[in-house]
Amino acid sequence: MIATIPSAVLVGVNGTRISVEVHVSNGLPGFTVVGLPDAAVRESRDRVRAALLSSGLTWPLRRVTVNLAPSGVRKGGAGLDLPIAIGVLVASGELDREAVDGLAFVGELGLDGSLRGITGMVVLAEALAGHTVVVPEASANEARLPAADGDVRSAGCLRLLVECLAGRRPWPRLRSHPPSAPHRGPGPWDPDDSGDLADVTGQPFARRALEVAAAGGHHLLLVGPPGSGKTMLAMRLPGLLPDLDRPTGLEVSRIHSVAGLPLPGDGLVERPPFRAPHHGASPVSMIGGGTAWMRPGEISLAHGGVLFLDEMGEFSTTVLDALRQPLEEGEVRVSRARGTATFPARLLMVGAMNPCPCGEGGLPGACRCSVGAKERYARRLSAPLLDRFDLAIRVDRPSVDDLISSRPGEPTAAVATRVAEARAQAARRGVRSNAELPGPQLDESVPMSDGAAALLELCLRDGTLSARGLHRVRRIARTVADLDRAGDTVHASHVHEALVLRSRRGALLGFDG
Amino acid sequence: MTGIQTTADRQAATDVPVSASGIGRPGSDVACGAALAGLPGMTPVRLAKILDDVNPVRAWQELAHGRHPADEKRRFMNAVRKIDPDVVAKDYERAGVSVHLRTASSYPPVLRGDPGAPAVLFSRGAPSVVEAGPRVAIVGTRSATTYGLQTASELARDLASAGVVVVSGLALGIDGAAHTGALRTGRLDAAPPVAVVGTGLDVVYPKSNASLWREVEDHGVVFSEAALGTTPRTRVFPARNRIIAALSDVVVVVECQLGGGALYTAEAAARRSIPVCAVPGSVRSPASAGTNGLLVDGCTPVRDVDDVLTAVALSRCGRDSPAPAVQASTFVAAKGRDRASPRSTPTRSARETKSTSGRRQSQGSPLPSGPASVQLSFDPGVLSDDARTVLAALEGSPTTMDAVLRRTGLSLARAAAACDALVRAGAVDTGPGWWATR
Repeated sequence: MIATIPSAVLVGVNGTRISVEVHVSNGLPGFTVVGLPDAAVRESRDRVRAALLSSGLTWPLRRVTVNLAPSGVRKGGAGLDLPIAIGVLVASGELDREAVDGLAFVGELGLDGSLRGITGMVVLAEALAGHTVVVPEASANEARLPAADGDVRSAGCLRLLVECLAGRRPWPRLRSHPPSAPHRGPGPWDPDDSGDLADVTGQPFARRALEVAAAGGHHLLLVGPPGSGKTMLAMRLPGLLPDLDRPTGLEVSRIHSVAGLPLPGDGLVERPPFRAPHHGASPVSMIGGGTAWMRPGEISLAHGGVLFLDEMGEFSTTVLDALRQPLEEGEVRVSRARGTATFPARLLMVGAMNPCPCGEGGLPGACRCSVGAKERYARRLSAPLLDRFDLAIRVDRPSVDDLISSRPGEPTAAVATRVAEARAQAARRGVRSNAELPGPQLDESVPMSDGAAALLELCLRDGTLSARGLHRVRRIARTVADLDRAGDTVHASHVHEALVLRSRRGALLGFDG
Repeated sequence: MTGIQTTADRQAATDVPVSASGIGRPGSDVACGAALAGLPGMTPVRLAKILDDVNPVRAWQELAHGRHPADEKRRFMNAVRKIDPDVVAKDYERAGVSVHLRTASSYPPVLRGDPGAPAVLFSRGAPSVVEAGPRVAIVGTRSATTYGLQTASELARDLASAGVVVVSGLALGIDGAAHTGALRTGRLDAAPPVAVVGTGLDVVYPKSNASLWREVEDHGVVFSEAALGTTPRTRVFPARNRIIAALSDVVVVVECQLGGGALYTAEAAARRSIPVCAVPGSVRSPASAGTNGLLVDGCTPVRDVDDVLTAVALSRCGRDSPAPAVQASTFVAAKGRDRASPRSTPTRSARETKSTSGRRQSQGSPLPSGPASVQLSFDPGVLSDDARTVLAALEGSPTTMDAVLRRTGLSLARAAAACDALVRAGAVDTGPGWWATR
């Protein structure tokens, strides 16, 4: 007796459809899995057997052979437990062949017969489009994301599933679940946790820089002594960003699903994610990769949102320089012997660092670092990487008056409204944000008043602005003008503001070089 | 021991010419002295003990035999056996570095009686310039503000013009500004500069001061007690500071943070009863915290070169040292303005330099003073209202944009435009993320 059950496995960040063929024949009782299974799949033999027995079903005392086709693709993950179990039941005659017609199965089994959620369900369900997908209850929301509602069924345990398949019970109704699976690690950024911009007292300059960064999608470098609130400011940046559009939301959901991050109640990520990797991060954890299967890195997990690099000077130079190309291209291609994967990586980068090892530098007279120590510290950030930061500002500890005054700052909601308006303006120019305005389009999109043009010329002539910096300043000035609802023309005051938001980054680090 | 007590035989051994050409005499005291200073693990204190009452050749032989009483652990025995002093001496000759033993006549006389004086001193340039006049050390922080740099430079320029030898350490910041000022007097009869560095005389540190270093060598002298090849390490600089203090009649600290290296110099000077003066600074500027602390401790405040010259005169009048080089003609009793000082302050009206007088003239203006050229081109009347508001909110110490916005209440665009206008007008100094009045 033979049974063929459609299922899917992860290859990189994509799902690949496979067939699980189960053959039950006379012979010595045994269980063989062929077709390039990895360790997790080979171990499924014991899980499947225990789950069937715990669920009161019969394990055939015959020879069971499982083939995973196409046999050239390496299959990993525990998601094949369920299709193997169903295949065994069908092949041994416990379940009618008609009962599983047109159904695809993905899920992990527990020894007690419970069905467990697996990572990457969004892309697996995508790969199985055209089938009705049967998944564990815990993964139902993710599976529903790419498919229409009717095409997903779920159950909490194997016994219940078999009864539903046999028609002895109705399918349980799908419902939204709170994010589950605590063993999967920290959740995505939660807007309720990160605090409101109203908590930031004083610091008008830093707040404005944050607003411009959010509105224009400009990467932001915060340089300041310890305790100046760099982390606090950066945490509040995602709250200023508008909701993700549906295509981006789907991309983010897929990546988070593959990486095993819990998704929000209805499965679709709508708020920009916030990722703050520790400075000990390895190149692979930042960029993506891995040996068993390609895992997206932090820059892809931050896709559509904010990547916050705290203590940027402590990151290894290899990691920082690996960021340069993905930041430019908005995606990262990870190549390994086994294949190449492309992950999206369009994000807003916020770097925070001390001006020098002692933390007090930047302003003359306060720092006690030796020249060599400062140079070594500043050299950890290569000039091309520093160049990616459109905005670079000095953050200072809030004044005592501000700290003790109970007057709260402008709340996130008010700033977010202005940011959303500015983003809408950018959309009318055909880009997601002003930072993406292509060079040739600048003359058309950023018309300058005479005063603004004269000011830029002055800066170019006295050497405070490079030709390369000119384009950046024009884009920032565009964002500033949009935030001020100043209409089409960019005025000198906007250029002034753009220039002051773009300190020379090498100099901010107490090192001109 | 002190270097002045010389016995007849040591006198004979060490009174060889100690110029670069004299080094090469085989087995000479000079060669052995230089080689001793360069032994691995040698420190100024150990060297002083080893050369205490023993001439360098004897010390070298006793170290080689492991019999030297100051080297009971035979720390240096193996190194001494491997090194040929004549080869070391040749290295110094090739590098153009002179070696001065404490007993030699070329050794700076002012250091001879000093309890912490180096047993062996190296120099490049003309070591005799130390005696060209009274000596004032100008020291301070490496991360100085514009205020500190300008003050150090002007003080050094005016002192050198007045015939006072300016001693400093060739470091970044105040030290560099002091040397630059002393070299830029525009006068042929200005006093030569003297530098004392912590590294070997062939190791220029910091590298950005290389050309200044050369200039000081050409016009004056650079001293070091470190052997050739000694790299910048933290412990060499405090040791260097004691020599600066010992060389000087007065120590002026221009700008220094709390715990800064210049306080070592001040402390070393105080221990030698050498007057320490300090330039007052803003109480909000961390770069002036150390100097303001010195003032609280009773150091003499320095407003301009006259205060320093007074301190020099007071410092030298009690000594029977030979002929102070500040001649009476340098000082004219007439005073340019009323001073609250209880001392009668001599003023050099005849030697007023052009920019000093420019600075004086600007004192009635509401703006803080700055370089004369900038002052002339800057007219506060042309400033916009915003610029005036911002100017009033700025201080002499660096002010960040956050503080500017908070104090003025202006929008960022207006404050940024005002700051830019002030910088272009020359009324305000700027750096990465900060602005300050000049």
